[in-house]
Amino acid sequence: MMNKMKNWLEVRIGLDELVTTFVTEQRVSKNINIFNTLGTVAFVGYMIQVISGIALVMYYIPHADHAFRSVQDIMTKVPYGWLFRQMHVVGSNLLIAAVLLHLATIFLMGNYKRPRELTWVGGVLMLIITLAFGLSGYLLPWTQLSYWATTVVTSVPTAFPVIGDFLTRLLRGGDYVSGITLSRFFALHVSILPPLFLILMVIHIALIRRIGLSGTPFGRSDDEKRPLTTYKKKTHPDGYPYYPYLFQKQALMVVGYFIVMFAIITFAPSFYFPEEATVPADPLKTPESIRPEWYLLAPYQMLKLIPNKFLGISLLIILMGVFIFWPFLDKQKEKNIFQRPVLRSVFIVIIITLLILTWWGKR
Amino acid sequence: MKRRDLLKALVGVFGTVSFASFAYPLVRFLAPSGSASDEKKIVLSKLEIPVGGSKVVLFNDKPAIVINRPGKGFIAMSKVCTHLGCLVEYVKDRNMLICPCHAGTFDLEGNVLSGPPPKPLLKLPLRVEGEQIIVG
Repeated sequence: MMNKMKNWLEVRIGLDELVTTFVTEQRVSKNINIFNTLGTVAFVGYMIQVISGIALVMYYIPHADHAFRSVQDIMTKVPYGWLFRQMHVVGSNLLIAAVLLHLATIFLMGNYKRPRELTWVGGVLMLIITLAFGLSGYLLPWTQLSYWATTVVTSVPTAFPVIGDFLTRLLRGGDYVSGITLSRFFALHVSILPPLFLILMVIHIALIRRIGLSGTPFGRSDDEKRPLTTYKKKTHPDGYPYYPYLFQKQALMVVGYFIVMFAIITFAPSFYFPEEATVPADPLKTPESIRPEWYLLAPYQMLKLIPNKFLGISLLIILMGVFIFWPFLDKQKEKNIFQRPVLRSVFIVIIITLLILTWWGKR
Repeated sequence: MKRRDLLKALVGVFGTVSFASFAYPLVRFLAPSGSASDEKKIVLSKLEIPVGGSKVVLFNDKPAIVINRPGKGFIAMSKVCTHLGCLVEYVKDRNMLICPCHAGTFDLEGNVLSGPPPKPLLKLPLRVEGEQIIVG
């Protein structure tokens, strides 16, 4: 039966050649490591979000009068609704962690450098869309936490003169967060962001295939210790085969991702659900403790510390711009961060600052 | 003018007009202009708010607070923090209004005391007529 199916596919799509090209003859650098699997982990994380999101949308009602109740019903009445909601919520947090870790390792290995600048820019844009997924999805349960966190986030553009109020009304669909905001955030979450993300993902993967998998600048000899000056697809003729060498690493990390996700769901089911996330939205009462998710705590605390709103938000945008276009700003040819003490020190200072701001924001 | 150039110009002009005639309604559709609802006055009894007390009301569908300040009389202000739109809370013991989101504080005139709010709370017109407080 299996052979018949294989033959059927072989005749129509040239299955053997596909497997040979993409699996058995595909070679990867000998010094590739476990951190090179994080892109795949993020990809699987997105798939989990898509599948659990489609399941949730079957029961969720995007209306201010019903949204909270429908989410409660998903958690308590729909068979295994709790599982899909938990997978979606825990998965979104783990996904952002995986993407951040992926970007950090790409940064450390200098793999944003020529010819991979566009791959980096696409990756950061995907991170921004992932955060937009998080923000738009945050409002959907229509809880106190989601309502007021969204009020704060949608107020951010008001720092800008002339267009600020317009942008805020564009996001909210009115002067305040209301049922209209819920509808448009739902539209954003399920019908605007997914195709945008899909386009970026296709471009990202196409670029990786076109340019070739990079190695690491550490350890064994690597011709990418100095960036290329002409287009040449990176190949690893003397490297290890993709299957099983890198594939098994990827499989291990994906399994690890699932283990962490299900460990949180099983042993800390309320980890991502503080008290305000279980109370229906009340537009007349801001809760005493209103904090964004962990990945936004650092910018949140920064906004708190900088007395001028325009200055604070402008600084955030500038930092984001530097992050996106970093490959074009970093003119040094050396990829190995261990040979670059200044960059290494800056990276450590940034990480420590982010950790302190996150811890401070959490208090 | 060559026919090809004319064609290019026509495509450019009609293309721009078509785009604009689609883009403008889309922008207006997505970002309706601010609500221009008629101001509705709110009438409260002085007895509802003892000295040092407060009452939260909806003024034109927006949360507002009326405070009876010791020695200074009544004042009405918007509850919407001028920083990022959370609602301030009146803390009687400390004679101030505090925003729970980013810890901005305001005095009972609505002026910023500390924190990131860029401007004072919006003051609402208020007058006292006999035993009545009229906001708006």
